[in-house]
Amino acid sequence: MAFSMEFLSGALSFLLTLLVLSYLIGDNPLFRLATYTFVGVSAGYVAAVAWHYVLWPELFLPLLSGALQARLLLLPPLVLAILLLARLLPPLEKAGRIPLAFLAGVAAAVAVGGAVTGTLLPQARAVLIPFDVRSVITTGASPLERLFEGAVALVGVVSALVYFHFGARRQKEGNVRRSRINRLVAWVGRLFIAVTFGALFAGVYAAALTALIERLMFLWTFLRSF
Amino acid sequence: MNVLSVAVAITVGVVVLVGYFFPVPVLSGLRVTLVQWAMLLAAVAVFLGVFNLLSVHMEKIRRRQKGAIYGGVLVVSLLVTFLAGLVLGPEHALMRVLFDGVIFPVEASLMAVLAVTLLYAGARLLRHRSDWMAVAFLGTALFLLVTAAPLPGMGEIPILGDLVRPFVTQVLATAGARGILLGVALGTLTTGLRVLIGSDRPYGEK
Repeated sequence: MAFSMEFLSGALSFLLTLLVLSYLIGDNPLFRLATYTFVGVSAGYVAAVAWHYVLWPELFLPLLSGALQARLLLLPPLVLAILLLARLLPPLEKAGRIPLAFLAGVAAAVAVGGAVTGTLLPQARAVLIPFDVRSVITTGASPLERLFEGAVALVGVVSALVYFHFGARRQKEGNVRRSRINRLVAWVGRLFIAVTFGALFAGVYAAALTALIERLMFLWTFLRSF
Repeated sequence: MNVLSVAVAITVGVVVLVGYFFPVPVLSGLRVTLVQWAMLLAAVAVFLGVFNLLSVHMEKIRRRQKGAIYGGVLVVSLLVTFLAGLVLGPEHALMRVLFDGVIFPVEASLMAVLAVTLLYAGARLLRHRSDWMAVAFLGTALFLLVTAAPLPGMGEIPILGDLVRPFVTQVLATAGARGILLGVALGTLTTGLRVLIGSDRPYGEK
């Protein structure tokens, strides 16, 4: 049985790899067949995981066999879940906005908290670290070298942020344009962003090339196993 | 209903945000409970999304639209996987076969196809937009790919491999990435606060 399951998995994998790689000769029905199968299986898998790992153990099981306090605590999400499902029925669609509002409120608060403590503060601190000469000396690095790198990085961060600032003033001639200094700094920022995307492109390309080699090796190994 | 949903979004959001920044036990407990409820609702929303996917493709099949056969493949594969997962559980050997035999190979193969499409996109970029930014973008990518590993017969390229490459990745690219991250975080902060004061209502209110 174990062998047959392994073989089934390998054969499916072999077939679907060939179907997806057929895209290299152009978009074709075989590629579309593979992608639609993939979307169907993934959606079914995600729904099954959501049921087995979230809804059943965290909502329905405690509601059916939990203590009274746990049951009462799970009544509001149950009502919200029913209201969310009510969106499927057009007359009750408006009631479905309440759970969506609940989700939006929680998501906005989590996003704000995450943006401040997870990105803004740590990234701003990281930009300033090279200018803390005492802590640089304790790491054994050359302070001058770190100061130079820090200054370049500071220019990069500030100019990249300026690039994302699209505020402009009306000129005497009536055109709406950024100021000259703003345009110059934004140009430097674009250059830094281009280098960043270049580095990301190289990383993704290396990963994609690794995946291509791995898939070709898999096809070869599967064929040789007969 | 309009006022109620705005009130729900603002109240819940403010309670979660205050509980996030002020570690008072009552507020923290309330925050955890509300986030858990949101997690349960998100799981229900997954079902809503899957149902929507099913209904769109069923409609496509019913109307015999172009590509309806692919819709049929999607519906059958979705229902078979979901029912098998529901009855047998995601840890069952059959579900492992579906994961290892369908999800993983298609994801890996799509990534492999990306190796060719990215190369093509890079060549097209230089042909259609040969300005400074395109040169900086492709120059950086090419330089980092060439210096990523020792070259056959040459080994590591002196200065470029051990001096310029770390400067490009750890200073120039990191600075740009930090600028982008800070920009995204500021955008997230603004959008989040607009939802929390009821100025933006992504839950369907006008």
